Amino acid sequence: MTRASRFLVRTGAMAAKETVHVRRDPRTVWLALGMPVLLLVLFGYGVSMDVERVPLAIVDDDRTAESRELARAFTAGHEFVEVADVDVSQVEPLFRRNEALAALVVPRRYAERLARGESGRAQLLVDGGDAATAVRILGKADAIARATSLDLARRTLGPARPPLEARVWTRYNPTERSAIFLVPGLAAYLLAIGAVMLTALTVAGEWERGSMEQLFASPVGRLEIVLGKLLPYLALGFVQLLLVLAVGTAIFDVPVRGSVLLVFVLGGTFLVGMLGQGLLISVVTRNQLVATQAATLSSLLPSVLLSGMIFPIENMPWALRAMSYVIPARYLVHALRGILLKGNGLATLWPDLVGLAAFAAVALALATARFRRRVA
Amino acid sequence: MNGAAIETVDLTRRFGRFVAVDRVSFSVERGEIFGYLGANGAGKSTTIRMLIGLLAPSAGEARVAGHDVRTAPEQVKRAIGYMSQKFSLYLDLPVRENLLFFGGAYGLEGAALAARAAEVLEVVGLAGHDAEVTGALPGGTRQRLALACAILHRPEILFLDEPTAGVDPIARREFWTLIRRLASEGTTVFVTTHYLDEAEHCRRIGLMVDGRLVALDTPAALKATWVPEQVLAVRGRALAEGARAMAQERGVVAVEPFGAGLHLRVDRATWSAARVKEFLAARGAADVRVEPSAPSLEDVFLAVVGSSTAPEAKP
Repeated sequence: MTRASRFLVRTGAMAAKETVHVRRDPRTVWLALGMPVLLLVLFGYGVSMDVERVPLAIVDDDRTAESRELARAFTAGHEFVEVADVDVSQVEPLFRRNEALAALVVPRRYAERLARGESGRAQLLVDGGDAATAVRILGKADAIARATSLDLARRTLGPARPPLEARVWTRYNPTERSAIFLVPGLAAYLLAIGAVMLTALTVAGEWERGSMEQLFASPVGRLEIVLGKLLPYLALGFVQLLLVLAVGTAIFDVPVRGSVLLVFVLGGTFLVGMLGQGLLISVVTRNQLVATQAATLSSLLPSVLLSGMIFPIENMPWALRAMSYVIPARYLVHALRGILLKGNGLATLWPDLVGLAAFAAVALALATARFRRRVA
Repeated sequence: MNGAAIETVDLTRRFGRFVAVDRVSFSVERGEIFGYLGANGAGKSTTIRMLIGLLAPSAGEARVAGHDVRTAPEQVKRAIGYMSQKFSLYLDLPVRENLLFFGGAYGLEGAALAARAAEVLEVVGLAGHDAEVTGALPGGTRQRLALACAILHRPEILFLDEPTAGVDPIARREFWTLIRRLASEGTTVFVTTHYLDEAEHCRRIGLMVDGRLVALDTPAALKATWVPEQVLAVRGRALAEGARAMAQERGVVAVEPFGAGLHLRVDRATWSAARVKEFLAARGAADVRVEPSAPSLEDVFLAVVGSSTAPEAKP
């Protein structure tokens, strides 16, 4: 038997054994395949960052046709819903009871000022308790106000053209739906959980059980152990990725404008890095309990917080921004958005691939080196 | 292949300042069952781990199956089978999957592996159990499966580290029948144990005390060297007073209670069975029966440990 075929037989035996472990423990399969779908649906529907049906209180002190028109301008779309028509003193209690998130206050003599050719003044009070929502509400209100003032100007000044007309056209996600923005991020997050956690557990399990010593006493080499452990979970990761994509496109209409092959190339590179990270954790901790915690801390948190999945990296302080460069999820999230939403190819996304490949190489090298050193 | 199956010269392993194995030299012949005895922490497992290439020696040499464990650990690993102290089968897998995995780990595959797996199951008496989940098997049966996994690739040398720890006596006896059968077919067996009755199955025994190999010989020779006194088994009634008096006499090395009776270790020249009977009967004992008894390895072990830890025996 040649060296290469012995290598293949031993790696194959490791991988086959690992597959049987997974097959015999249906919980692993459910965890790996059921959880992504569940989380995707929860996040996709639950974590909506869209400004929709914001409860709006109207305080109309003017009670004129013009003031009512302004209020209608706000409630005509789906962004705001009128929940109360109240006195200004009632606004605060409404905010406190969470019955309104914003209040439009039209002061007395609003119509009169408009008629005199002065600018009409109206106030928007916003519940700033949730800063992100408040900012989005302000953005929407601003747009509505601008459109209304343009209308008013046309009416009073005739068909004159405004000096500057900004035409905003949101590309790639024209309806600004959160799901489309979230799904690529979720894909990274879900792959990270599965890969880091499962490898960390399985390798730490071999140490705990004592079977690692048995493996070291056999001709199975370290690379064969590493590959035999990684390949089945890599395959599982690909199934997860496919599932996330399928659910994303089927339920949330996430577009796939670029190459699916490229998605898998980048996803695969990301997975190898995550598997390497899980391996490193288990080699260092040699204990399933500690490995689980280390896996959670080192994979989930960064891939949620520092990947740009939810919080834009550009807005982070420089220290966090610098840190995000060593978080592989950052590259995958960016690349997936590029491929899925914009149809980008490797020509634009190669830096992401390089980042992912570098992380994978370092993680695997560290894990294998650490693996070897422990075996005297 | 010629030469010894295992040969060590001044094999030493230090962990920091602690010397776990101290200049151990021995040689094991092919087809021999070699028992390695000692208390917990005496250095048995550390020695095995060096011999199978899991642990690098700090000093000294060891050759296993003709390969140097320092420079050719991979060749060593291919030539040996190892059953570790810590139980290391995959309990969640069926019997058959465990065999297929360990076979694959040693490079066996396909039909040859399947045939060999069936063969070793037959050897260890587990034929027909392939589909059972390993975790559901009783301890002794698991032990035999672990042995099956260790001999799949027909190793020249089998290393067994405390193979029968925690296994009931009947299963232990069956296990040793298997070991003797493997040895009779030419496999060299290196086994550590702290069950002294098991060590009687070994052709030769090495005794480890505090990292040093303090005695090495056949069980019979060890007994002759370390327990030269006559061992007498005494039974009867009202032995207590006579026993106390006996212990004060010259030529009496030890008086130990043994079941309802006594075990005496006495100088052969001064104490015969008849004289012991007479001595005890004179001090109130009734129905006294005295029979010569063979020394056990336990007697040897106590004698060896006693002399090795005595101040003058320290280096």
